Amino acid sequence: MNRAISAIVKKDMREITANKQLLLMIVMVPLVLTLVVPTIFLLSAHFVPEQVDELQPLMRLLPEDVQSMGTEAIMVRLLMDNILPVFFLIIPIMAASVMAASSFVGEKEQNTLETLLYSPLTVRQLFHAKVLASFLFSMLISWISFLLMVLVLGAESFALTGVMLIPGISWLLVLVLLSPAVSLIAITMIVRGSAKAQNVMEAQQKAAFLILPVVFLIAGQFIGAMLINAWILAGLAVVLGLAAWILLKISLRKFSGEMLLGNR
Amino acid sequence: MNAVVMEHLSKVYTGGKMAVADMSLTLETGEVFGFLGPNGAGKTTTVKVLNGMLQPSEGNCLVFGEDPFRNPEKVHAVSGVMTEHAQMYNNLTGMQNLVFYGSMFGIGEEESRKRARGLLQQLELADDAGQKLSAYSTGMRQRLSIARALMHQPKILFLDEPTSGLDPESAHHVNQMILALAKEQGMTIFLCTHQLRYAQEICTRYGLIDEGRLLSVGTLEQLRDGVGSGMKVRIQTDHLPNLPGISLPERTENDTCGGTGKTAEMMKVQEFEIAVGSEEEIPDIVSQIVENGSKIYHVSASRPSLEDIYFAITAQRRQQ
Repeated sequence: MNRAISAIVKKDMREITANKQLLLMIVMVPLVLTLVVPTIFLLSAHFVPEQVDELQPLMRLLPEDVQSMGTEAIMVRLLMDNILPVFFLIIPIMAASVMAASSFVGEKEQNTLETLLYSPLTVRQLFHAKVLASFLFSMLISWISFLLMVLVLGAESFALTGVMLIPGISWLLVLVLLSPAVSLIAITMIVRGSAKAQNVMEAQQKAAFLILPVVFLIAGQFIGAMLINAWILAGLAVVLGLAAWILLKISLRKFSGEMLLGNR
Repeated sequence: MNAVVMEHLSKVYTGGKMAVADMSLTLETGEVFGFLGPNGAGKTTTVKVLNGMLQPSEGNCLVFGEDPFRNPEKVHAVSGVMTEHAQMYNNLTGMQNLVFYGSMFGIGEEESRKRARGLLQQLELADDAGQKLSAYSTGMRQRLSIARALMHQPKILFLDEPTSGLDPESAHHVNQMILALAKEQGMTIFLCTHQLRYAQEICTRYGLIDEGRLLSVGTLEQLRDGVGSGMKVRIQTDHLPNLPGISLPERTENDTCGGTGKTAEMMKVQEFEIAVGSEEEIPDIVSQIVENGSKIYHVSASRPSLEDIYFAITAQRRQQ
């Protein structure tokens, strides 16, 4: 039934890209986070005075060899290695939540869920297809955003400082491990919630709760209370990956057509 | 092999509503079975239980030997379902929708396109194949749903009110297509409807359902025998004499004025309806009226329609 699953994935992708308003919303957030915000950051790092008192607590947390660098270099490094990676947790969650929230509820609202359930796909395969569609979509958005970001910020930093911005090792962990794991957890929870919700709005509201913890994590980054390094990232990624896998298994166990359709 | 077997099947919803009550029924392969009853009688619930969407509360059922709740995917592979709640995607065209549902059944794109073209042609939707579903009328959607249910060439077709929302011409056309499927391909049809007239056109056997209970099952003849109502003769005459051996007129209808031409005198013509055992009795009745000197303006015989039988059976049940 791989053909059926790939047909659902393709159909879901086509549906989301055909909805211009939704697509604009999905594209705007990554654009702002990966291009607009870092550009402002780079420009302010370049034009602000050398000593900024507010940054001192954060600076002191940095490795000594980094502390010896100039403020602008430190700020650029902070941006690249500590701030931007966290955005790559927000982007896939955001993209996935928009798509996943509408996955089951969208079908329910259009009265197309029952039609899908009359196919020879099991409810589990259907769940798999829905999760896969949202997952691939969110990864696609993340990786495109990453490519754009590297190109644009690289050019900007070269123009301003004469140095190219090269992504560090933490990027690899974020893009290949952490971001997929977080995204998968979010999708599983949203698709599960989406199956029970009665309308897309309700499902999207549920999804918003998933983004809040990540927002707190970013706040933590800025006040220097929590500094993410490669080891913490790797550990987190493994834990989250396991959590995602367990969550997916548990969710699949509780799925049935009657639960999806409700008593109509 | 039996297409459908239901044994003491019941479905009680979580709220306590009993939608299907102790239903036992067997459908043979190739039957066009009319499952008839008013809205809310339990027809759609029965279709959902037979397709594994709902778990039976009691009893069991098989579709081509498979338990729909335990092995829904096996049942879905051989059954096509068309219900009001099984719609298609508004942002896809008619053709794209059919190809998508074809792939859900593991059919390749080329083959899906070929089948879709044939079905769209048969259902007179070929010209609208490239239009998005959002531009389709209710009747067109209805017909496309039938095409969708037929994409994987099922052995049994569950149709829930297939002709509702169709104009009489389209309804007749759809009916003929269903009949052809049954006759030419031996497809079993499970037709749920409250439009008894359309059901009578095509069904070989009927099940009458009300409030979740199966009231009666059989061919039209068997149902007629069941309610004891035979043939009726309608006679328009100016006077009906006492007919020995014939029961009194069942009812008289609106008096009509007969006579033609400018000199014709106006006379009173009455319409009578007489219950008879068989057609053999009609010549005798007619000759007795004529011999009595009365004039006959109209004689017609009719057998009770499905609608008459349905109302007789539901009335019987309510009296009980």
